[in-house]
Amino acid sequence: MPANTGYTQSQKLMTFVLSMSLYGLATLISELIPSVQVGIVEFSVEFFLFIPLTLAMLFDPLSAALGAATGELVFSEIMLGQFGGIGELEKFLTVTIALYIAGTLVRDPRNMRTVAIVSLGCTALQLAMSAGVDICKVVFAVEEFEAVPGLPESVFFTEGFALANDLLFSGILFCMLPTMFLVPRLYGKIEPLLGMKPRTPQNAPEAPSAKLVIAAIACFVIAAAVACFAEAGFTLFEWEAEWAESESAVFAGIAVAAVVAIVAAFWARRNAQLKAA
Amino acid sequence: MIEKLSESVMDKVSIDFLRDQVLKNAYGNDDTPIAALDPRVLLLWYLFFGIVPWFLNDVVVLLGFFVLTVVTTRVARVAPLVLFVFAIGVLSQTGYTFVVSLFFEGNLDTLASLLVLTLKVATCSLASITVFSGLDPDRLSNGLLWFGVPERLSFSIAFAYRILPILMEELQNILLSYRLRGRAPAHDTLMGKIRWLIYQVKVVMMSFYPLMLNTAKRSRTTVEALELKGYRYASTNTKVLKIKLSSLRAGRREAIFVAASVAWVALCFVVSRIVGL
Amino acid sequence: MSAVSLRDVTFTYPGAAAPTLRHVNLEVAEGDFLAIMGANGCGKSTLCKTMNGLIPQFIVGDLEGSVTVAGTDVATAQIGELAQRIGYVYQDFENQLVRPTVIDEASFSCLNFAYDDYVERGMRALELCGLADRADSYIWQLSGGQKHLLALAGAIALEPDVIVLDEPVAQLDPYHADQTYKVLRELNEKYGKTVIVIEHHTDFIAEYCTSAALMANGTIAWKLPAHEALRRIDDLAASDVHPPQIALAGRELVRVGALPENTLLPTTVDEGATAFWGVPFIPRERAHAVHPVGESAVSFRHVDVSYRSVKGEPRRVFHDLNLEIRRGEKVALVGANGAGKSTLMKLMCGLVKPQAGEVVLGDVSTRDIGPDELSERVSLVYQNPEQMFIKDTIRADVEFAMRARGVADAAERAAALLDRFRLADLAGHDGRLLSGGQMRRASLAVGIALDPPILLLDEPTANLDIGTRQEITKLVSDLRGITDTVVIATHDMQLVCQFADRVIVLTDGEVIGDAAPDEVFMNEDVVMRSGIRPPEIFQMGRALDCRAACYTLDEFLSCFPAWVAAQRGEKNEIAVSGDRDGRECA
Repeated sequence: MPANTGYTQSQKLMTFVLSMSLYGLATLISELIPSVQVGIVEFSVEFFLFIPLTLAMLFDPLSAALGAATGELVFSEIMLGQFGGIGELEKFLTVTIALYIAGTLVRDPRNMRTVAIVSLGCTALQLAMSAGVDICKVVFAVEEFEAVPGLPESVFFTEGFALANDLLFSGILFCMLPTMFLVPRLYGKIEPLLGMKPRTPQNAPEAPSAKLVIAAIACFVIAAAVACFAEAGFTLFEWEAEWAESESAVFAGIAVAAVVAIVAAFWARRNAQLKAA
Repeated sequence: MIEKLSESVMDKVSIDFLRDQVLKNAYGNDDTPIAALDPRVLLLWYLFFGIVPWFLNDVVVLLGFFVLTVVTTRVARVAPLVLFVFAIGVLSQTGYTFVVSLFFEGNLDTLASLLVLTLKVATCSLASITVFSGLDPDRLSNGLLWFGVPERLSFSIAFAYRILPILMEELQNILLSYRLRGRAPAHDTLMGKIRWLIYQVKVVMMSFYPLMLNTAKRSRTTVEALELKGYRYASTNTKVLKIKLSSLRAGRREAIFVAASVAWVALCFVVSRIVGL
Repeated sequence: MSAVSLRDVTFTYPGAAAPTLRHVNLEVAEGDFLAIMGANGCGKSTLCKTMNGLIPQFIVGDLEGSVTVAGTDVATAQIGELAQRIGYVYQDFENQLVRPTVIDEASFSCLNFAYDDYVERGMRALELCGLADRADSYIWQLSGGQKHLLALAGAIALEPDVIVLDEPVAQLDPYHADQTYKVLRELNEKYGKTVIVIEHHTDFIAEYCTSAALMANGTIAWKLPAHEALRRIDDLAASDVHPPQIALAGRELVRVGALPENTLLPTTVDEGATAFWGVPFIPRERAHAVHPVGESAVSFRHVDVSYRSVKGEPRRVFHDLNLEIRRGEKVALVGANGAGKSTLMKLMCGLVKPQAGEVVLGDVSTRDIGPDELSERVSLVYQNPEQMFIKDTIRADVEFAMRARGVADAAERAAALLDRFRLADLAGHDGRLLSGGQMRRASLAVGIALDPPILLLDEPTANLDIGTRQEITKLVSDLRGITDTVVIATHDMQLVCQFADRVIVLTDGEVIGDAAPDEVFMNEDVVMRSGIRPPEIFQMGRALDCRAACYTLDEFLSCFPAWVAAQRGEKNEIAVSGDRDGRECA
């Protein structure tokens, strides 16, 4: 049943553009607020998550979620040149998934209790996914993770602490309260500007289908695995490098040669593809 | 005296300054040698300097890489603000770790190993700054498009640079309204300072309410105009892609750039050998 | 063949109770230059969106009837195909520009439709619009007028047969509006394009359009050749379109018998000069306004201002500016966009600090006090009223500044203000969602909430239809009694004439004229250099006698002895009947 949501292409694009511009601007600003880090516990406060969250509750959740993730990538990573490589993929996915799910859960934005619970839940979900990836990274990176005395406990403790702390800060102060401030004020006002009807339980978007959830989770797992693997690769090699300095150069050489070969192949293929068009 | 100083710093870090810096970074350096290079070559170049340093532990080689990226960043004429954000990022990551490590009987060895880490982080960040800040957005998005990145992202990049000045101005006006008509709490005492900070954070949060409505009004026209200009039609047409990418041309200049980089990298390894002996 | 033809078109927006368009029938001939007039909200923009296929293909709703553009049926054609037949420029054209650079924007649609020579096509469009030399600029470097031309270039890049513009003059100053219209005329005459504009400035219609249609209540009332249309004074006035003052003057003169009954009413200065020729015209002597000598409200002392620019040297706006504004003065600040009007305003309320010299408000320099204290001395109402609203209701917005300062009776004072501006019923609405006129009134209420001794208004009548404009002009004139010193930056010369004692003309950051309105408008050098456009009736008076300085219809008419005599006769009659009435009442 594809006509379930009732959002047209144009409305989706408007939501995407709106979410991208606003959240992009917000992350650009928050990028300039120095992050506070205590040991490995980083206070990764998402100051402005309430913006796309509000939009996801009022408009098409998927467009709002994708728009927000794209906005962050473009405005704060690419524009400021703070592109962190593969790690950004993880953030992109966690933000998209959390916002999307949160957006579909609110069937009536006038119900403040749902809005409050979902906005807190959204932060919790996003943080939990990040923490999960972090833990996986350590597990992969340190050989015989379980065997090192005290390590599992301390990792779980610090990650758990960070999560609880972020939830308190990002979740309540910067996500739940502003969302509860914005949603009722925008409801019924902002939708007509985009030529849409306000969301009611009757026309609310359907909860994500099982297929979509599975696809999303699969994506996330792959991304997490890639991130972990990348991390693990680095660390393993550093281990090795301590024994044999010279091997690093050899390895780098081989790696470079491999990459060059792959790139050359891709280059040729892409050119042929474009020529055929 | 300190009061005056902080006042003037606050004055500098206004939205106006931010806008100016981001625009400078985006458009002020489109005539540098870096900006003239083929974006595809630069992206590959970034891939090398963004990944390889993680596999190296040789201080001399890393130092060489670092010097190279400093030079390219200098050539790309990156805006000071971006460099400042970069510096904050690097310091907060490693400086903090060193301070913490002192509590755990860290010593000069710790510092040395931290130096290696700092060099890696700095080299990667500078490489990303060179490429993502040095290229003008349109060439960058064409480059990404060539590598098969979804069209939506490359459009978002171009659009972000178009919309950013407008959004910043709008936000600036709203914040100004708050400053003129509102009254911030006095910040002489510590409590006052805390209250002042909370007030400022609240104002920024609340500014997004008018900003969201104003942007929503805009985005409707924007999306309709996109439709009229055939944007949706083009995103599925490979011929458009071909025309768009036909402007990409790797030639002598790119060859020289790559050759120089390779030569420098080789030199670094050679020097490292000699010093090592 | 008709370029555009609408047959019995009815359109209802989803969820709307009544249709926006009702049984519209309209035929636009190929090569026509048509103006569509009508009050705000009568469905003009909706009509245009049915022509380019946005309705019903992009904006869903209930559409009946048929629309064809250059022989293509809109309902079934691809929007892409339609885009090559009809180009559209929005009223908020700034949001229609989606690419970072000028050439990119102009060629974007050609690229999307996969033309190999898309750059050349974009370049050709830029040449037609006179923007070829700015091809490599970034969009934010352009002025408002240039952005409008660029939006036009983007619309004509695909070489459509029909071009539609939604209120081109609304957001531009008169000089730039003229430029856009000149480009349109060239496209129409030289390249045979059909041009349709939504317009209610009758002076532009008279000068450029060949035919005009009036829209009322969602349907086309009539479509006539332009000059004939402008003579339908009563129809126009009923639809909030201000008829040309020259036509009104003509009708008055016919009424009093100074012109023969069968005179065709003149609609332009040239026609007027012919029609009124031979009717005795004696310009009145005007007493020169005396410069008030009061204490200084604002004084600029050797002010230098320049802005950081992205590349190269900072842009200088003022150099060694000296200016004195005294208490109680009503000042109009005029000049083309970019002449420094807004910067001057911002200097006065401390938003911009001069790099050298100082701006003194009463007895303190703007440098020495914080923004929140400044706002008690001077208040600025932005050009874009939406930016005045930061809260979710206009009541909260009006109260905001007072509450922040702990004014005890904030609620009562706000209620009184809202009453004054006839906003009491709308107090709970969000300012951004009001109509243009209401928004403007609300922004004025917000601006004078703190009862500032100096009030600055930036373009208070921009973007309004004529009816609303007159309302705001009156409201602003009423402020004369309340607020002490008022400075208005504006292009609206009607407003200047009705309001100001003193006009300051800025050009490129230099004061080239500073005198009473008379002296400024009579000074041809100043008028030429600044590109200001005196009201039409003023030009009419000057065309009949170069010593005449009339700003209103009454002033113009009272230069005709015949009219004055007839008026006096009528007044006596009225006075006699009034006396009788008076007695009866007593």
